[in-house]
Amino acid sequence: MLKNLLTTITLAGALITAQPSFAASPPNMLVIGTNLTGIRTLDPAQNNARTVSELISNIYDNLVQLSPDDLKTLNPMLATKWRVSEDGKIITLTLRDDAVFQSGNPVTAEDAAWSIQRVIKMGQVGSTDIALWGFTPENVDKLVRAKDEHTLEIELPLAVNTDLVLYSLAGSSIGVIDKKTALSHEANGDLAGAWLSANSAGSGPFALAQWRPNDVAIFNAQKDYWGGAPAMARVVARHIPESGNLRLQLEAGDVDVGQYIASGDLDALSNSKDMVIESVPGLGFYYVALNQKDPDLQKPKVREAFQHAFDWKAISGNIMRYTGFPWQSMIPRGMIGAPEDAASRYDYDPAKAKKLLAEAGYPNGLKKVLNPSGAATLPFAEALQASARAAGLDLNLVPGEFTPAFRERKYEVLLGNSGARLPDPFAVATQYAYNPDNSDEARLGSYYLWRAGMKVDELNALVDQSMKERNAGKRAEIFQKMDGIYSGMDAPLVIFFQRTDPYVMRANVKGYHGHTTWSTRWHDVTKE
Amino acid sequence: MVNADLTSKRDADRSMDEDGAAHAPPPHPLVTILRRLAGRVVAVVTTLLGLLFLTFSMGRLLPADPVLAITGAEVSKDVYDRVYNELGLGQPISVQFLNYVRKVATGDLGTSATTGQPILTDLLTIFPATIELAIIAMIVGALVGVPLGITAAVRRGTIIDHIARIVALAGHSIPIFWTGLMALFIFYAKLKLVGASGRVDVFYEGLVTPVTGFLLIDSAIERQWDVFRSALGHIILPGAILGYYSVAYISRMSRSFMLEQLSQEYIITARAKGLGLRKVVWRHAFRNIRVQLLTIMALTFGGLLEGAVLIETVFGWPGLGQYLTRGLQMNDMNVVMGAVLTIGAVFLTINIISDVLYRILDPRTR
Repeated sequence: MLKNLLTTITLAGALITAQPSFAASPPNMLVIGTNLTGIRTLDPAQNNARTVSELISNIYDNLVQLSPDDLKTLNPMLATKWRVSEDGKIITLTLRDDAVFQSGNPVTAEDAAWSIQRVIKMGQVGSTDIALWGFTPENVDKLVRAKDEHTLEIELPLAVNTDLVLYSLAGSSIGVIDKKTALSHEANGDLAGAWLSANSAGSGPFALAQWRPNDVAIFNAQKDYWGGAPAMARVVARHIPESGNLRLQLEAGDVDVGQYIASGDLDALSNSKDMVIESVPGLGFYYVALNQKDPDLQKPKVREAFQHAFDWKAISGNIMRYTGFPWQSMIPRGMIGAPEDAASRYDYDPAKAKKLLAEAGYPNGLKKVLNPSGAATLPFAEALQASARAAGLDLNLVPGEFTPAFRERKYEVLLGNSGARLPDPFAVATQYAYNPDNSDEARLGSYYLWRAGMKVDELNALVDQSMKERNAGKRAEIFQKMDGIYSGMDAPLVIFFQRTDPYVMRANVKGYHGHTTWSTRWHDVTKE
Repeated sequence: MVNADLTSKRDADRSMDEDGAAHAPPPHPLVTILRRLAGRVVAVVTTLLGLLFLTFSMGRLLPADPVLAITGAEVSKDVYDRVYNELGLGQPISVQFLNYVRKVATGDLGTSATTGQPILTDLLTIFPATIELAIIAMIVGALVGVPLGITAAVRRGTIIDHIARIVALAGHSIPIFWTGLMALFIFYAKLKLVGASGRVDVFYEGLVTPVTGFLLIDSAIERQWDVFRSALGHIILPGAILGYYSVAYISRMSRSFMLEQLSQEYIITARAKGLGLRKVVWRHAFRNIRVQLLTIMALTFGGLLEGAVLIETVFGWPGLGQYLTRGLQMNDMNVVMGAVLTIGAVFLTINIISDVLYRILDPRTR
């Protein structure tokens, strides 16, 4: 028996050591260690999250694109040029004539029009941004049309700033799909939704080679790509949910880019000269939401007390080191109309908070339940809880997944974080300052201000105005005004940090740039 | 008169035979086994129903929203409402449960909100990965656990016995998560002996066409030895660690079974007649505990499927454990129910098989 055991072990050992090496991915292959949880489809119209946006952005070309380091200037992609009519109602785009889909079909304006119509008709998550401009399943066929093979015309149903519309065209959900190929796989009128969830029909630099949900996504380079063949012959996105394991694989060179790494592992990796850690500024914040359906929290002095009850500076250097930077304005840093510096509007001042609570009628402090929106915000919530006690706020921390409760306004105090894909303060203002109907029946769960239970008509009007205004200077004024009102009213969404999304690269990887709108492209990535 | 009596008695006998009572001969052993099997099947179905009810209730009690698992958090009211209705979440819970049971009975486990695929398709893709891992773990567990336990029994009180006890204790008390990461650090990162995440190195992904779903077998069938080596290099570590945790149980049980045998008279007699210790242990005592060990192995195998949950997360192993964990994280209740049902069904099937084998192999239990 023992002899058999030894033979087996020796045999297994010999087989394993016969393998030259388990380390290092090949020089023409990019391996991204990430978290593929929750990616149920690779169909642009059903795109619902950050990681999948990156995958889709490399299969499908957009009409226009935004460079990761300049979110204000639109660059050509499938459209070489575009023109806006005098009255600002029609955008005419001219498409390049050398782009082909992976099927070999040429990319035409008809494909582009159909792709936009499809997103609107399907009405899935991917339509969120573009539907803002008034397109509906009923009007989209008429309004988005191919004038000829290379000319696309988009007529706007509402008077809106056309830059905003073009920004939304750069979003990963509006990737241009090969109409002919897709429709040949249509089933039960699903506009090929089922087929496109696990297959690709784009004109991008990569084509989907294999997709196993929650496991691996493999992409092969398109040698005939109109922008030139990518240096990477293959890109693999692999599901590595355990941060410690991902760190070991980055160190060994098996993985080139790592996403969703825990802060402890980021700290350890930051000491290595072989690694580069970068943080993409996100268009969203870490905030504390105070439910205005709660009579205690309705009092402005209580809300003001919350602004001074948290020692957020203490955690900015550790827990939040890679995931956010101090920011206390509702206009994200660097965006049009953003304040010069909003990094320390509310200082931690427990004595002041205590005094404010006493003035509001709570001389002995206030007890509330604090929920983190999910596991990711738990460490932050734990840190805040301790400092709030000194300010007279006794917060009973109940961990769990509370985003649904937040959407239903069934919470007291909640710590959450947000994100947006449209690179304009309008997108954030819609979340944080807009609430056209504060009734429970309205169930406007996509507006945070509704979730917090507050309606401010003046802010609603300004958000509407910012959507329509075409003059950049005037838009900046609108956002500045919005910011002034927001900070003066002791908003029920107390913003502490602007979100950033860190990722780690091996130092030999060049040209990989995390994108604020989540559409990171791999075309220019090389490995030295 | 006598004749008449005899005739009437024969008639009575016949009538009783026809009723199948009183003088019926004992049923064939196979019939007994089949009858027991039928009883077990009824028990299994009831248990599975109970299991379904439990997981279903848990899914509804958790403060989480299955709609957001599909749509993402920043979704508009229209899309949210449509998905909510598509999932049938507006119906009363009892109706939802009955609908689910009805579907399961026809083999339809629903669609996963997070992979977009039918649960059955998902399970057929991922379950072989878990079975493959569990088989390797079982082999490790049996090859190490049984000899260790038996040696500990034979050399009771010696250093080997103490070592076996420490091994068992460590297997019970050290978190598998920690052991997994430490092993990765040593054997993958430092010694570079094995692969890290997944079932195979990335550059071998997709080279082998799945036939059985067991990558080691499939790559061997296609004679893709590079892929086979890579697959072996990836499975050996999680398999060994998972196996180690079963070693603890198997060695403890082997030890106690063997100790019981060693105190039996026939062993003492055999020893008194001058038979060598090795022969007594392996030829006589071991033969008598084989059936018990088989049961232990079967139960351990079921346990390994469950135990794979954590090890699959650490090693990025695309199997049932990871599927279940993700389902829970994303509140994808169809996934949770489907995975729990599968584990339950496999566990019960193994139980039945081991029970039947036990009865076949050990005549005393019939």
